This record gives sequence, structure tokens and C-alpha cells, in this order.
Amino acid sequence: MHVAYSAVLLLMLTAGCVRAKPETPVSEPQSVATQPGTQQRAAKSAAPSKPQPAPAPAPSRAQKTPAPPAASKVAPPVAKAPASAPTLDLNALEEQRRATKAIGVFTKISLKNRVDDLLDRFGEYYEGKAKFTMTDLRRSYDLLMMKVLTLLHDEDQKLASAIVSSRQAIWDLLADPKTFATLRV
Amino acid sequence: MNTLTRSLTQSLVVAVLFASQVADEEEALKKDLTAVIALHGLPCGQVVAVTELAESDYAASCRDGNKYRVYLNAEGRVVVEERT
Repeated sequence: MHVAYSAVLLLMLTAGCVRAKPETPVSEPQSVATQPGTQQRAAKSAAPSKPQPAPAPAPSRAQKTPAPPAASKVAPPVAKAPASAPTLDLNALEEQRRATKAIGVFTKISLKNRVDDLLDRFGEYYEGKAKFTMTDLRRSYDLLMMKVLTLLHDEDQKLASAIVSSRQAIWDLLADPKTFATLRV
Repeated sequence: MNTLTRSLTQSLVVAVLFASQVADEEEALKKDLTAVIALHGLPCGQVVAVTELAESDYAASCRDGNKYRVYLNAEGRVVVEERT
């Protein structure tokens, strides 16, 4: 339980050390359309047990050519997601979590309570005891994220934007019963 | 500047620095409690006054007139109770 809490809260509060590729404009579906496997691989690399070095930087803007209109029409819906999922480094995350002064002690404990509650709900869901759906869990997750981001927005915008970029990677950990089980150990 | 004046000046500087630190800590606590109350979905706006009732147990007064007790219970949960 503590491990699960720590992992999720760490990911949520301390994603400031996320090492991501240089920002690629979301409006460029070209890279996603031409490399359909990229996103899945990147999401897998976000697993906490395997911190990895930062990926090679994306090509500079000068090297990119605008996608033809026809290409954007054939791009799958996945193209709307961020072009690259970040790589998470838990050791650096831990340091960031301790260092951040954007959130007070009571607020951190209160958020911990919320994370515990959410993890319990995931546990119920995977055990088949829940009456709610995965969509409900996603809604709860999004709401919790919004609360965290609201708290961080004024004080630590860098951390807030890093959390936004790793939001999907954290969800992927929770939404997969296998990775969730490893978090709960 | 004689010795007495120098000592008084030093004492004043230390006192101002200490008061400033205490004020900063109190502001941080008010902000913390404001965030906690908001997280619990309770109306407050902003905590304007805090009284420590015990360790990890505070009485908070909000700008909109609401008053709350914010404390850490035995199970490690932050509890926010409305006070009349």
C-alpha cells in the first residue's frame, strides 16, 4: 500500500524531473502517422522500475517538413495525443518531491489520502467488487490531477507542466492490472 | 556609534528578521490550510487567521466567515470539520 502510494504520489507531485524529448508540436501528426509504434514504446518506457536515459532529441524544426493535408486526414485518432511520452526517473522524482515547496505538509497528506482512496477504488475494480466503471475511475483520476495542477499552477509551473506531460504515462500504469498489481505490492 | 547604539541596532535587526520568519511561516500555514479546505470541497476563499489547538490541529477562520477545524486523525487522514 505504501509502495503504491509512494509511486503514484511521487509520479504526480514530482514529475518535474521528467526527462522528455524536446517539445514537438502536437499539431504535427506526421511523426505519429509515420511511426505508429513510437507512442506505445514510449509509454512502456515510463514504467517506474526501469529508469532510462533521456531519449535522443527529436529532429529540429528546420528538418521537419509540414505534413501534407492528405496525411492528416489519414492519421489515426491517436495522433491527437502528445507526440512523445516522457521517461520517468524515480530517484530524481524523489529529490524533487522533497524539494518542492509549492505544496504544504497538510496539503501533501490530504493528497496522499486522495491517492490512497483512488488506489483502493482501482483495487476494488480489479477484484470485481466495484459497481463503478473504468470511465468513472478515469474521471476520478482526472479530477485529482486537476486538483494537483491547480495547487501547483501558481507556485511551480515547471512541475505542473511536467505533470501534464506525464499524465498519460501515470494513467497507463494504473489502468493496466499487471502494472497496478506491482504498485500495490 | 557607541557600544549601546550598536547593540540596540543589532538586537533590532535580529528581532526584525525573526519576526519576518515567523510571519512567513504563518502565511505558509494559512496557504496550506486554504488548499486543504479547498481540496475537501468546502467554501472558504482564503484562510485569514489560524490558531493552533494542538499538534497538527488547527482552527482556521476564512475570509468568507466560515470556520473550520483542520487536524490529522489517528489513521493519518487530514480531517476538516466545520466549526460553529
